[in-house]
Amino acid sequence: MSLHPDVRLNLARSNVLLIDDNEQALEVLASIFRGFGVHRQVKCGSAADAQAVLRSREIDLIVCDTVMPDMDGYAFVRWLRREGPEEARFAPVIMLTGHAARSTIESSRDCGANFIVSKPFTPEVLLQRIYWVAKDERSMVRSDSYVGPDRRFRNVGPPLGVKGRRKDDLSAHIGIAKDPNMDQDEIDNLLKPQRAAL
Amino acid sequence: MSDAEIFKVRNRLANHVSEPGGMTAGMAGTRAARELAAQQGKSYEAIGEALETLEWLCQDKAAPMDSVYDLSTTVLDIAGLFDDKQLCRAAYSLCELADKLRTRGAADWAPIKIHVNGMRLIWNTAEADREGLNAMVEGLWSLTEHLSIGDGEAEAPAA
Repeated sequence: MSLHPDVRLNLARSNVLLIDDNEQALEVLASIFRGFGVHRQVKCGSAADAQAVLRSREIDLIVCDTVMPDMDGYAFVRWLRREGPEEARFAPVIMLTGHAARSTIESSRDCGANFIVSKPFTPEVLLQRIYWVAKDERSMVRSDSYVGPDRRFRNVGPPLGVKGRRKDDLSAHIGIAKDPNMDQDEIDNLLKPQRAAL
Repeated sequence: MSDAEIFKVRNRLANHVSEPGGMTAGMAGTRAARELAAQQGKSYEAIGEALETLEWLCQDKAAPMDSVYDLSTTVLDIAGLFDDKQLCRAAYSLCELADKLRTRGAADWAPIKIHVNGMRLIWNTAEADREGLNAMVEGLWSLTEHLSIGDGEAEAPAA
């Protein structure tokens, strides 16, 4: 699923920071963003370079690869959310991931990125995620163990006529439940993390 | 543990995106595809180099598994930006395999070589003629899963 082709968006004045240690992948990523109409992009080959950029420039969106030597993408976002410059600390972050090594699974979940996009993907999918991030109205959460977008979803239930509505989903807007509550297995299946083919 | 603090932040990207002008998503997609096409030559060269190095490592059989992992992520990283699903799936399987081996502190070059040969075959086959290679890619995944028995599950990404 990608954005409707008629949706209009303007990225011409957005400052985008692209981070990838692979020089060619960084070039390709930059070319995709050029296609999106982003004129102000900063390319960094390491998290350390990106840290320096964030201390000196205003950035509106960060797109970061996950696997990098020294400081990986997850550690970079954790740094950003906790110790990053005040102006940039809660800038939207889209992580691009190829392979999720076992040692990084926990840090990927808790790093505080707005979105994780797994490769392979098309430019249309990336554009859609940028649009979602721009329209994301989630609050930020700061706690001992996590700093980043609120991961709790305010759920008023599926709309009328869609299976799976629960008693607690009731609201004047939604109407009265017609189907029984979902059982625990169905709920577990909904919440089970799975790789998605995009 | 202290209480969590919940607060709103200003999203400058939201303001920019909604400014007058810009372009439609359809136009942005077309332009991005054109830009991608211009990068294809150099990118394919980089993937070719990574495959060559992997082939050399399989002959030498002395490199640490970290090197195999890094090179397979290089292939995955670049091919992933071109939406090359088959090559990505094969590279992902090799990443998974190398990750498992390095976690165990082991080196098993035979399955790595099979992966590298498979990736080379995909690489040398024109996109239009690749359908017959799906079974081979599934075979790479079976191999990685088989080698993971007793080591937790290897979850294959959706095709």
